[in-house]
Amino acid sequence: MKHWFLPSFLFGLLAGAWLLPAPAAQAAGLDRAGLVQDLCGDAGAMGRAGAALTATAATGSDDERAWAAPLARAAIDRKLACDAAGAVLTEGGLDALTRAPREAQGTPRSPLLSLKNRPVYELADAAFALRGAPDAGRRAAALRTLERRPALIPEGLLDMAAEAEGDAGLKAQIEALAQTAALNAADPAARIRALSRVADNRSRRALTQVTALAQDPAYASNPEFRAAVDAATARIERGIAIGDALATLYNGLSFASILFMAAIGLAIIFGLMGVINLAQGELIMIGAYVTFMVQQGLRHAAPALLDWYLILAIPAAFLVTAAIGIALEALLLRHLYRRPLMSLLATWAVSLFLVNLVRVVFGTQNLQFETPFYVSGGVPVIGDFIFTWNRMFAIAFAAVTLALTWLVVRKTPLGLNIRAVTQNRDMAACIGIPTRRVDMMAFGLGSGLAGLAGLALSPIYSVNPQMGQNFIIDSFMVVVLGGVGTIAGTVVAALGIGQINVLIEPLWGAVAAKVIVLLMIIGFLQWRPEGLFAVKGRRK
Amino acid sequence: MVKFSRRSFLQASGLAAAGLASPVGMPAVLRSAQAQSGPVKLGCLFSSSGTMANLEGRLNYVVKMAADEINAKGGVNGRTIEVLVSDPASDWPLYAQTAKQMLQQEKVAALFGCWTSVSRKTVLPVVEQEGGLLYYPLHFEGDENSKNVVYVNSPPASSVLPAVDYLMSDDGVSAKRFFMLGSDYVWPRTINKQLKGYWASKGIPESAWKEEYVPFGFSNFQTLVNQIRAFADQGGGQPVVVLTVVGNSIPDFMREFANQGILATDIPVLGLDMVEADLEGLDTSKLVGHLNCWAYLQNAAGPANEAFLKSWAGYVGANKVPFSPDVSIDPMVSAYDSVHLWAMAAAKAGSFDVPEVSKAFAGLSFDCPSGYKISMTGENNYVARGVFIGSVNDKQGFDILWQSKDTPTPVPFSPYG
Repeated sequence: MKHWFLPSFLFGLLAGAWLLPAPAAQAAGLDRAGLVQDLCGDAGAMGRAGAALTATAATGSDDERAWAAPLARAAIDRKLACDAAGAVLTEGGLDALTRAPREAQGTPRSPLLSLKNRPVYELADAAFALRGAPDAGRRAAALRTLERRPALIPEGLLDMAAEAEGDAGLKAQIEALAQTAALNAADPAARIRALSRVADNRSRRALTQVTALAQDPAYASNPEFRAAVDAATARIERGIAIGDALATLYNGLSFASILFMAAIGLAIIFGLMGVINLAQGELIMIGAYVTFMVQQGLRHAAPALLDWYLILAIPAAFLVTAAIGIALEALLLRHLYRRPLMSLLATWAVSLFLVNLVRVVFGTQNLQFETPFYVSGGVPVIGDFIFTWNRMFAIAFAAVTLALTWLVVRKTPLGLNIRAVTQNRDMAACIGIPTRRVDMMAFGLGSGLAGLAGLALSPIYSVNPQMGQNFIIDSFMVVVLGGVGTIAGTVVAALGIGQINVLIEPLWGAVAAKVIVLLMIIGFLQWRPEGLFAVKGRRK
Repeated sequence: MVKFSRRSFLQASGLAAAGLASPVGMPAVLRSAQAQSGPVKLGCLFSSSGTMANLEGRLNYVVKMAADEINAKGGVNGRTIEVLVSDPASDWPLYAQTAKQMLQQEKVAALFGCWTSVSRKTVLPVVEQEGGLLYYPLHFEGDENSKNVVYVNSPPASSVLPAVDYLMSDDGVSAKRFFMLGSDYVWPRTINKQLKGYWASKGIPESAWKEEYVPFGFSNFQTLVNQIRAFADQGGGQPVVVLTVVGNSIPDFMREFANQGILATDIPVLGLDMVEADLEGLDTSKLVGHLNCWAYLQNAAGPANEAFLKSWAGYVGANKVPFSPDVSIDPMVSAYDSVHLWAMAAAKAGSFDVPEVSKAFAGLSFDCPSGYKISMTGENNYVARGVFIGSVNDKQGFDILWQSKDTPTPVPFSPYG
């Protein structure tokens, strides 16, 4: 946004200077002084100023547009300082009217756009950018802003922009938008063209727009128009149905990936040692804090890599939490293996200790994470389905974690030992497997996976000392339902719980969804107490 | 002659030892002896652990800061103020237990505490039974008027309703449709019930609103944001979201909302419990324009606010307070007002007895950092406050979008509920 701002700003300055000797040119179109005055007025006056700016963007002369463009941007960014003598653009310190350098007098007021005026100014700003921005990316962004509110686009703007547009692809997009805007035009052929354009965007909003046309007189009189409306409605409805189905799947998958990440470490620890590790949630939290520290480290050491902190933090998050897990096992749990209740209490104490330690060191506030491009925003796919990148990151991360965990457990000597000890500890010890060391390594692996969960969750959830407590119940649910100690069980249980939750939520609400899922799990465990996938063999 | 068996001797000596060693038994005796000369005690009921810690924790320090200010001017009725801090650990029943201890054992002259309505409701029977006085610094659902509670912040009629009115007006966004999303407990449910009554009284049909609740601490808002989008795209006028989720659900909801590409200009969110602290850690550039409503915003103009912000920053620096020196939220200011209002009432009554202090409430007024002169009447224990509507800016704060001309008279019982 700022890229084009400065050059056009300078251009505005030049244009202003060039205009000074010819005041007659000013008087012809835009009432500049009145506009600046309105910009500093109340909500109503600012609305008028916004409308004037939008109109200028469409029909104003080149120098008028160059003069007015910085005003729209400044009003949005609150970079306009109103004082007794008018207004000053604070970025650059220029008078809003004359563009002569000056300081604001007294205590200037910077007007705040009301919610009603904000879209008007954003539209004006985008309209100026579409016609005047030297950077094609900026013009494309402006076009996307305009697309949000096709009804408000001033007449003639798109035609002029398309005419001046040098980029062929962008030109086609502008023309397409111009056709959409013709939905309520007089010419039936243009309306039918517009209908097919509107139907390309298969959302509920488009549906509302199109179904409203059924009340149009042309719908009854013109069979061609009627057929076009019906076809567009059917097409949009199909798109929405597909979009809703995809959205449900995606939401379920995304919730499942969160559940899986939280539970996989626990599945290994619980499956192997039968230790109920209540500190698992806190290990997730510590993973997120390590990610934060890596981010802060990069900020100082290598700012160029800052955007990639989520990737670079992977080894750190894994190793730190694995080390904590190993220390926990060696110092505490090792002595409590024969007393499951004691180990439960001990890990609970550890969880309280970790929460308070982090609180003392970092404070209770939510941590401030950068949001790099790959975890911010989303792309609309079809209907109302939006593919959000932070969720996709968690899903991809869960998939990779699953693959690696499966490799470790299935294909490495350590994994073989872990499986042997899980199935029959005494027999494994008899054939010479160092069960104590396997315990320690497995605990480290499980804890490290929790750390990775913290990393994957940091773009989705707020990170604070209490964040781990939200996960412990859910992850136990997944582990118990899946069958203790199996990766496949954890995956299927996470997918099942995630999907069922997402299906129930819109019907009966989020509170009922939790209750119903819990009841379903209890019912299932009555029928199959060993869970979905029980490890075959004798367990104690 | 009394015969000592081994057992009775042990019992007796055990009791005696307990009596001696008990941390409450002995000091209580000493305290009552010096009651007329020592410092007067105020108790805080704000959690420094659990889900509410990040928000409630800072109020402890504000109460201490206000007490220091009063002490620096010579205290109240010739005695200095001592502030006792507790930690009810965000555990609602523990608030009642702590309140009881403070009232019975420490004999505090007044309590300052609670954030959530559910914690206030547990403390209410305790202060009523013990004849204590609780200053409650949060805006809340109203429909309550105990002589033992001072409601320092606004009931819905002077906080939520003006904000909703603004959204429905032409100056706002001419809102026609409402999606209510709240945490599942007394405050959101009561607020939403009153809002529905209010809209019904304005002739808005029932089809124009939708109500959803999530459990405490809920964070997975994907499906709900989908529902909001579907609701908004149905047409029928400008939709708004009335958000009454609390705690961490607020930032998690806002993040998902922005990620799904919804801007404030499409569907504005009126976050009734949203404060500056909830925006910490969020990229607010995509949230610009969302709203909240309180009786104070950090950007409030005027010398009283400047002085408050300066003394808070100074207090944080001097006492190593683990909270940000440059974030100030409404409940902090309300807690600050509470201590001053209590001190004024006690000074006016010339006593620390709750009935005497309560009688002195009528006619009190105080220059609140919000810039308004807040006041109390003899009619009820509510405080008349100004109303602000804030708009999220890109610097994780709120700009003032609208503020009331004066302080509307608080209406404890809503006619719409």
